[in-house]
Amino acid sequence: MAESPDEQLMLAYRGGDARAFETLYTRHRTRLFRFVLRSIKVRAVAEELYQEIWMRLIEARASYSPKARFTTWLYTIAHHRLVDHWRKRGLTLVELDGEEIAGGSPDPADHAEARQALSRFAATLEGLPPLQREAFLLHEEGGLSVAEIAAATGSGEEAAKSRLRYAIAKLKAAVNDG
Amino acid sequence: MADERDPKVTQRYRELPGEEPSRELDQHILAAAHRAAGHSHAPLVTPAGRHRWYFSLAAAAVLVFAVAITLHLERQQPDPEAVSAPPAPEAPMRDAANQEAKKPEAPAPKRSPAAKAAPAEAPPPPRFTPEPPPQTSSTADAVGAASAPRASAPASRVEAENTTSRAEAARTQEVARAREAARQDAQAEKLAAARSAPAPAAGQLGTVLAQRFADTPEGELERIARLRREGRDDDADKALAEFRKRYPDYQISAEMRAKVERAVPASR
Repeated sequence: MAESPDEQLMLAYRGGDARAFETLYTRHRTRLFRFVLRSIKVRAVAEELYQEIWMRLIEARASYSPKARFTTWLYTIAHHRLVDHWRKRGLTLVELDGEEIAGGSPDPADHAEARQALSRFAATLEGLPPLQREAFLLHEEGGLSVAEIAAATGSGEEAAKSRLRYAIAKLKAAVNDG
Repeated sequence: MADERDPKVTQRYRELPGEEPSRELDQHILAAAHRAAGHSHAPLVTPAGRHRWYFSLAAAAVLVFAVAITLHLERQQPDPEAVSAPPAPEAPMRDAANQEAKKPEAPAPKRSPAAKAAPAEAPPPPRFTPEPPPQTSSTADAVGAASAPRASAPASRVEAENTTSRAEAARTQEVARAREAARQDAQAEKLAAARSAPAPAAGQLGTVLAQRFADTPEGELERIARLRREGRDDDADKALAEFRKRYPDYQISAEMRAKVERAVPASR
């Protein structure tokens, strides 16, 4: 079962096989959580949304049909939950928590430059327009292609491609500056 | 689809602190999944959309239509009852037959309802039935006429019946048989046409269902969501504005709002 494709596992879960869900969950928990956390940046809120996303998936299991990759479906649900969250908050995003990026413990002095570069990268990621950041996170964490990003976010393929390219260009500039 | 990743960006991204959900959260979600799987029943037919009740409603509507059409077709079959069912064209024909017989003292049109009201009475002889006995009552009438239960009728009425000439009966029977034959032919043709073309009926049914769904607020919202998915935001905005004018009191669910409204969070 550990080697089964996501789609097969989800179909098995739809049929009542809870172990199939465990495998699916283990496979996607970290990446989905990072996607949510890096979109929201407040751990408590991210955990709440993360849980809601899985609950929504569980509720919607009967309607699942493997027309697209399971990952696309999962991140489509995640996208909708994030949009709802932003809407409830008046379409504003939570500020970046700098301490979280830098880490709690003091770093060695010889790593200061690398630490600064990483902080700069994190700040750039956080400073991206939300749709660009979302496209980047879907690509990096979800492994979604441009077409799948378009499908998950309900946007056109050209728009998704453009957002992703802008995001990568800005992050690349941040990397090179470091 | 080509990978858009930039190796340097990806590498730097991976250097960001790793974050994972808490174990408590994992357990909570897995427990919920197990509970749900406990009473999980795979649907007979998998709904495609996220609104399962649309699917149920559509399935119920299809069933109702199918039953209605089946009943309708069954009613149209050329059974004896169906053939003798429509009384409307019968009266003028009977009148015509009577006029043709030119028998003024025999009020045939009035006699027919009287015979129905009082079945004990002897029915009039020109009660024309087709070759296959059309209706139970008509059959009874015909049998009554054949066996001549005149003893049960008043003498005056029996006398009046006797005044109807055999020639009149023969002529009117001829007319009635021709009429019945024509009607049966038409009925048979209609039925054959209906049976030979089931596909258009099903297609029309689907079209009607789709149209009815599209006319509902939910159908309209689905259409707007589709526009949004296709990236036609301007069209979707217009359609949504029209929708709100049309259904000012309609409460759009949060989930549907996410699909139909422009999903552009404010950038900082």
